[in-house]
Amino acid sequence: MIKITDLYKSFNSFEILKGINLQIPENKITVIIGPSGCGKTVLLRHIIGLLKPDRGRVSIDGVDMNALNRVKQNKLRERFGMLFQHAALFDSMNVFENVAFPLREHTDLDESSIRRIVLEKLNLVGLKEIETKMPSDLSGGMRKRVGLARAIALEPEIILYDEPTTGLDPIMTEAIDNLILEMQGKLKITSIVISHDIPSSFRIADQIAMIYQGKIIEVGEPNVFRKSSHEVVQEFIRKGEGK
Amino acid sequence: MKNFSKWILDFFVPLGRWCRFTWQSLGWAVRPPFRFNNFFKQLEFIGVQSIPIIMLTGLFTGMVFALQTGKTFSLFRMQNLVGSTVGLALTREIGPVFTALMVTARVCSAMAAEIGTMRVSEQIDALQTMAVDPLQYLVVPRVLGCILMLPLLTIIFNFVGIVGAYAVGTTLLDIPAGPFLHHLYWYVDPEDINGGLIKAAFFGFFIAMISCYKGFLTKGGAEGVGRATTGAVVASSVTVLITDYFLTTWILEYYSSHNF
Repeated sequence: MIKITDLYKSFNSFEILKGINLQIPENKITVIIGPSGCGKTVLLRHIIGLLKPDRGRVSIDGVDMNALNRVKQNKLRERFGMLFQHAALFDSMNVFENVAFPLREHTDLDESSIRRIVLEKLNLVGLKEIETKMPSDLSGGMRKRVGLARAIALEPEIILYDEPTTGLDPIMTEAIDNLILEMQGKLKITSIVISHDIPSSFRIADQIAMIYQGKIIEVGEPNVFRKSSHEVVQEFIRKGEGK
Repeated sequence: MKNFSKWILDFFVPLGRWCRFTWQSLGWAVRPPFRFNNFFKQLEFIGVQSIPIIMLTGLFTGMVFALQTGKTFSLFRMQNLVGSTVGLALTREIGPVFTALMVTARVCSAMAAEIGTMRVSEQIDALQTMAVDPLQYLVVPRVLGCILMLPLLTIIFNFVGIVGAYAVGTTLLDIPAGPFLHHLYWYVDPEDINGGLIKAAFFGFFIAMISCYKGFLTKGGAEGVGRATTGAVVASSVTVLITDYFLTTWILEYYSSHNF
């Protein structure tokens, strides 16, 4: 389980996170929503240890990521996969090399096994015969799917998705949502999705949390979350669903 | 007084951060896994691909230096010393400094731009999330590559420069080949060459560390990458010229105290 306790973070004296408390249950999809600039991505970066909190802690199965040295942090990160907002594919490598990268870094598999796994993961995200293409030749949706194939290459226990559907058309958004649900069904992983797409969030989430002005103002299962008495939550849902 | 303390802080705070970055990178240099593939790619990029530009600049530097010294020395009928003068200047100073400046222009700008682009497009964060330390993956191969290739490129620069000086000396200045080569052989000692190569290795270390650091600090998209690249080239070039003085002082002191 991932437990976030009393997390504070400021940038240049501007306070972004003001005491976040949240528990992420195992093998479930938790969607964190909130308006732009409220600190969703900052929170995600704390979970994987890319940022150090000013105060508070993020613990993964009781281990505080920020209390570890860099070597131990890297060991802990092997349990994670992350899909970045713009996929963050290595632009000097083709699709195959991008997906093979974590396998080459962390396993002793031979080239034929790596090839088999890469093709399997690309197949899983619905991509075929694009291994030799460079990231610059791909559309936004394809880049995200390659990013997802790379994130699941090592079959991690936890996957973080940073706004996976932002900038995509409705059909591609639904495809990515289905992909997240499919991953969840097949791999039994803990997923944390950052989003401000309300319909998409209700479609995939087991738990939804909302950040507003640096704090979690509501958290619960989708049907509980929908009935929240918090005015901001209700307004966010209403506007998100276009009502 | 307030401006002065701000100036002091503006100078020492980045310097302190650079020292910490350097220290952490050195720590990753001695820790497995050793990334030989990345290292050899950098050797090829820094060294092999720089050979044409190093030969071109070395040739014309040697030629123009021979021409200038030859014309001046002819006033005192000392043209025969052109070979030794060019040889000493190239091996001790011009070779390592010019090589470092050419590598800064060609390689370090590319390093800062590449790492800077990776920073702003979250590729460095992606490396970290995949449990790969970016210092070990990106910085260490580049720094080791520069430390190894700068002296080798300096040898090429020196050799081609002396060939250029010989060509100008023997054809345009009518210096006989025998005295030219004799003085070159007589005055240029192995410690002159070694001193230059030691300096080149230090320059390699500094320019690679500065360029990688500037790349890592990049913020703000394409404009930020441009700023990082310019900053890397300016800081590396200035550092080469400043450290050259101190390294020369140290090398001269070392050789004189060891009775060379």
